[in-house]
Amino acid sequence: MSYDAIVVGAGHNGLTTACFLARAGLKVLVVERNDHVGGAAVSRELTPGWTYSNCSYVCSLLRPEIIRALELPKYGLQVIPYESGATFDSRGGYFSYSSDHDALRRELMRLDPRDADGYDRFSRAVMKQCRFIKPLLLRTAPDPTSLKPRDLSELLFILRRFNDLGAADMAETLRFWTMSIAEFLDEYLRSDIVKAHIAGSGIIGTGLGPYSPGTAYVLLHHYMGEVDGAIGAWGFARGGMGAITQAMAASLVASGGEIRTGAGLDRFLVKDGRVTGVALANGDEFHARTVVSGMDVRRTFLDHAEARDLPEDFLKGVRRFRFRGSSGKLNIALDAMPRFTAAPEGAGFLRGDLHFLDDMAEIERAYDDWKAGRWSARPYLDFLIPTQIDPTMAPPGKHYATVFVQYAPYAPEGGWNDARREDFARTVIDRVEEHAPGFADLIVHKEVRTPADIEREVGLSEGNIFQGELTFDQLLFNRPVPGWAQYRSPIRGLYMCASSTHPGGGVMGAPGANAAREILRDLGRRIDMGAAA
Amino acid sequence: MSWDAIVVGAGHNGLVAAARLGQAGRRVLLLEALEGPGGLLGAPAAGQGAGSGGTGPGVRIAAQPTWLNPIVTMGLGLDRYGLGPGVAQPTRAWGPDGPVTLTAGSALGVAPETAAAYAALHARLRRLAGPLARFMGRTPPPLNGAGAGDLLALALDGLALRRLGRADMRELLRILLSNVWDLLEDSLGDGPLAGALAFDATLGGAMGPRSPGTVLPLLYRLAGAPRGADPEILIGALLKAVAATGGVLRCGAPVARILVGDNDRAEGVQLESGEEFRAPLVLSNLHPRRTLTGLLGVAHLDAEDVRRARLMATRGMAARIDLRLATLPEALPAGTRLVVAPRLGAVEAAFDGAKYGGLPERPVLEAVLVPGAVPRLAVTATFVPHAPAGSWTGKSRGTLETRVVAALDEALPGLRSEVTGIETMTPDDIEARYGLPGGHWHHGEFRTDQMLMLRPFARVARYRLPVAGLYLCGAGSHPGGDITGLPGWNAAGQALKDEGKRR
Amino acid sequence: MTPAIRQPEPLGLVPGPFHDRIAALNRQQGWTGWMGHASPTVLDTVEFEYFAIRNGTTLFDISPMNKYRIAGPDAEAVVNRLVTRDIRKLKPGRVAYAIWCNAEGNVVDDGTVFRLAPNEFRLCCQEPQLGWLDDVAWGYDVTITDDSAAIAALAVQGPTSCAVLKAAGLAGVEELKPFDIRSFRVETHDIMVSRTGFTGDLGYELWMAPGAALGLWDRLMEAGRVRGIRAIGYAAVEMARIEAGFLLPRVDFLSSQTHLRPGRARNPYELGLDWLVALDKPHFNGRRALLALSRQRPARRLVTIEIDRDKPAHHAFVYHRKRREVGFVTSALWSPTVKRNIACAWIEAPWVQDGGDLWVEIYRQRELTWNRRMARARIVERRVFDSARRRATPPADF
Repeated sequence: MSYDAIVVGAGHNGLTTACFLARAGLKVLVVERNDHVGGAAVSRELTPGWTYSNCSYVCSLLRPEIIRALELPKYGLQVIPYESGATFDSRGGYFSYSSDHDALRRELMRLDPRDADGYDRFSRAVMKQCRFIKPLLLRTAPDPTSLKPRDLSELLFILRRFNDLGAADMAETLRFWTMSIAEFLDEYLRSDIVKAHIAGSGIIGTGLGPYSPGTAYVLLHHYMGEVDGAIGAWGFARGGMGAITQAMAASLVASGGEIRTGAGLDRFLVKDGRVTGVALANGDEFHARTVVSGMDVRRTFLDHAEARDLPEDFLKGVRRFRFRGSSGKLNIALDAMPRFTAAPEGAGFLRGDLHFLDDMAEIERAYDDWKAGRWSARPYLDFLIPTQIDPTMAPPGKHYATVFVQYAPYAPEGGWNDARREDFARTVIDRVEEHAPGFADLIVHKEVRTPADIEREVGLSEGNIFQGELTFDQLLFNRPVPGWAQYRSPIRGLYMCASSTHPGGGVMGAPGANAAREILRDLGRRIDMGAAA
Repeated sequence: MSWDAIVVGAGHNGLVAAARLGQAGRRVLLLEALEGPGGLLGAPAAGQGAGSGGTGPGVRIAAQPTWLNPIVTMGLGLDRYGLGPGVAQPTRAWGPDGPVTLTAGSALGVAPETAAAYAALHARLRRLAGPLARFMGRTPPPLNGAGAGDLLALALDGLALRRLGRADMRELLRILLSNVWDLLEDSLGDGPLAGALAFDATLGGAMGPRSPGTVLPLLYRLAGAPRGADPEILIGALLKAVAATGGVLRCGAPVARILVGDNDRAEGVQLESGEEFRAPLVLSNLHPRRTLTGLLGVAHLDAEDVRRARLMATRGMAARIDLRLATLPEALPAGTRLVVAPRLGAVEAAFDGAKYGGLPERPVLEAVLVPGAVPRLAVTATFVPHAPAGSWTGKSRGTLETRVVAALDEALPGLRSEVTGIETMTPDDIEARYGLPGGHWHHGEFRTDQMLMLRPFARVARYRLPVAGLYLCGAGSHPGGDITGLPGWNAAGQALKDEGKRR
Repeated sequence: MTPAIRQPEPLGLVPGPFHDRIAALNRQQGWTGWMGHASPTVLDTVEFEYFAIRNGTTLFDISPMNKYRIAGPDAEAVVNRLVTRDIRKLKPGRVAYAIWCNAEGNVVDDGTVFRLAPNEFRLCCQEPQLGWLDDVAWGYDVTITDDSAAIAALAVQGPTSCAVLKAAGLAGVEELKPFDIRSFRVETHDIMVSRTGFTGDLGYELWMAPGAALGLWDRLMEAGRVRGIRAIGYAAVEMARIEAGFLLPRVDFLSSQTHLRPGRARNPYELGLDWLVALDKPHFNGRRALLALSRQRPARRLVTIEIDRDKPAHHAFVYHRKRREVGFVTSALWSPTVKRNIACAWIEAPWVQDGGDLWVEIYRQRELTWNRRMARARIVERRVFDSARRRATPPADF
């Protein structure tokens, strides 16, 4: 069977690319190894009555331009913002974040009058960086070594935007992109718990601690999203994160695209340096002059392509690309809403992201454990109970908790096995239990996901949720391989479209849209961003 | 008595600045607070580092053979003043499976493929450091509003970059902000060789090898000369260069403040003794924080500049320890530097111990033999916090010393029993004696957000301070720490250029 | 025993010290947020409230204003380093309007500086400034405290305000010259009175502990019953402000601390506040940049314009010769007192000098249909309403 384009992997980026290609009139096939679409944006019912957002669990980064262009709301996507959050300390107190500026200001005043001001200054500093980076997300990163007019003009675009910031903010931007989140926060804030609450965004999914330079950028990566124009806001996809990919799949089918699940890739078919299609594990072959990989760069080129088709320096770059999974996850079906000792019953902030820690050093120590190849004895948790907002994910009165865990190693000494996985889960549950006694007894079912599980089930190498670390040597024109950062690969007709490429991970869709733009460009066509253009 | 220029601080950068100004015909007064010139390279005070109890000859902070950047040695013609050709100093990187000996670009004691990999890495990094070396020898461009001269220089930098070729240029852009751990692990694999290079990349600062941004210091260091001269010889040559141009050095003359006239111009300095010296040009070789918030005073500064000066990252994490030995260790030839950092992880682990303010279980270190009547082993140990748990005590000094000796004893078996005396300069001691905030011998962390156009911070990165006629000329300015002489050289050049414009 | 569980901070607006009285009078139930406090927009009708400012006495709660205490041996040095005016000339017991700038010479905020004692100042301003003050004061021997919640404040403004205060027992208040401060003992409370305000008319501002607030309110209301006293909301104050030519951050200009987009900060020369910048005093924040700016022509100017026709030019663009867009309006008002159609507008520099042939485009909606009209505009003095009452000491009783 023959298509204009084949996309391998039905994650949110693969589907995004497929949708844009189908909308441009191409005959598109998406092949997916699992028997469901979604990649790391899935909703699955593993125990009757409960739906888990098994991997990614909250939404903010998905570009509004993509939501509009692909008409995702028409296909069922609803993103509902959550407005608050809290960090519980070990002394029975808490800091609660609120999107209501007045309430937040009063909360900060309570801790330290100087932090009320400091927080405003901090958030303006971050907002300026968000404004700077936002227009770069849906653009192809220029190759700074190239003299092609397009690269030069893109480079000029970035430099001009940078120059427009003015001297003071230019310096701030350079500092921000290279500093540690701890030091950045120390410049603005004094309360340990406030800094700890914020610092988590600088290390989620990342093999760095809050004291490591480069983590301020990671925070930006988590702040640059939006929900309906509210920059930095996060929300739940109604029905779980699978709602995003389900809507994309529906949008694709409506545009004439085709999806085959249970169709794992064996290898890319290549002839004379040009891709001609894909061969599936079940022996099926499909042909197309354009093949797009939604897998990460390591799996794409080391597992499914032949070394002889690739130049050595490219392969070297691929082998060198850092994954270093550092995150685990628990999905927990709860018989009832847990009671947090420090929180009044029904407090609004319980609807948001909850954390359990005292200061940034605690996160750094959690990182030290991971560096030594252990999961954190006292991990950083991003704990949410979406069923307080989304009624679709658990039976009435029952709840679902998503517990993101930083840090967990990909390969602990001796490797992962059932006993270690259970120990890991116990570490996490004990941590919650300290603040919500009786939590463990409410557990009806749980899914434990180590980086190794994430790799096995979702295909993310080493379980890295961003398809590769977000350090500067792997960003922009360096992502994934210098010289190959514009979605094309050394094999003609074979493209990359997922988070291993600029602008990187998170349920953003930008790599997918950017890849589609480049593919269509090579085909002499233009991407249709619709009204969002 | 009036002068054309006053340089505050007779460390090597102050000496270089004074000599360059003198070369240009300026009558220069060089003021030094301590009893002798040289700063960290200078002769120590007797007993310095001996703690509360004993006495000793004192710990010279920079005890290693060292060399200035060729721009400076040639610019000042230091060979005429007896600098000599310098000697290459091999490094012996200790590992449990035997030492690796490194000389520029070659490694002995490792598998042939590792030796080849090291040679290739060294050559590659030296190549990549080339364009940086250009950049180091002049005032960094402003962040915006660059003038024609700056733009031309930048264009030439761009050409130098392009001359690297595409592959190297990409490699440079990739590793520029990367961490040295990944670079070394990719290129060499783990072991004493990688450990020693990671040690070099992180020495003096508060970053472990896994911290992004640790490749840049390594590139900087490779951009320098692979030679060294005894600090005494180096300082001697600089002193002669200053004297030859009519510069006058006054030691034991601590400056209390910089005098600023009603026209917002520097007019000279006042010593702590009350004595005043007048000059239309003042260069300060002191740490930027001390220069700005101390000598100049916040009253002359905008709040933004004060904020940046006080928030500068300047946590020094290197301690200097001198061991007096009964006999010379046979395993360490004179003129060879020993590095005890057997693995990448050892360097990172030492940093992990210190980052929370504790003492590392196993410090990583370098050591050289200092010849003399009583042989000494000059050790630089890292990572040592500025002050563990708030302040140093006899007990914590003792712990540090014991751990350093233990680490050395592994590399030089039997050393422990040869030690007859120990003197230690902690970062806190270094701060107290040399007036370096945080005891940071680079005058501020060597980190991406404090380098190039951001050193020590954007608004004063071009040496010129907001008060006219006043300049920074020390390691806190571009291109930064280590012994290069470039900050002094560039600052003097900038001051002369500005003066020319005004005239 | 388990510790009490702390309730989270309330969302939205919280009541201020005068809230109970204002709420009782707020027939419109119109509230707006001011630093997290409920502040009335209109209690009754805007017209009545506006004319009360120009005709009787009005009470307006200004407690939400940010108030900082700067005290200590170096207090004068710190305030002088902060603001562009020469604060050494400000005597204890006096108030000065001032602005402060960043290192680039752009305005951070404006406010009033109260010199309470030789070594004690109070700064009142719209934007939170604690972080900025800390930065400016670093290295000096002063203590900076955020007194915003510790001090209740009430603006008592209008031609009969002096008479009301006297009747309320503040004997001697008539001796206060503009910008004077004096303390009074009222019952058991200390009330500090400054002859300051935002209306360009006779008026005072009263400062007190929050516990004294309601008692004082009642006392003033009682004393003012026969002198036309009335509690007012923000809308009427805003009208008086524009007439009096006062600027408002976030409306007429944006603090250099708060803007996110490049190029939005403004310097004193652009704002027409040159008179507040004392370049001849020793270094203060932004001085070097201001010195350079003082030698250049500002790129744009904030000016007051008077417009032909009678509809306020809200959100209007300003044109030169009806064609070239040269600026826009920030605040607009039909002044009921001077019967002129005025507005505050940013106009690009060449067209300020040029002076002639400026036009504003006024948008009007009539029965669901929008139309626009060009109206001629000209630059006028900033203070459109200028009454001798503002300066007369002692003030007349009415």
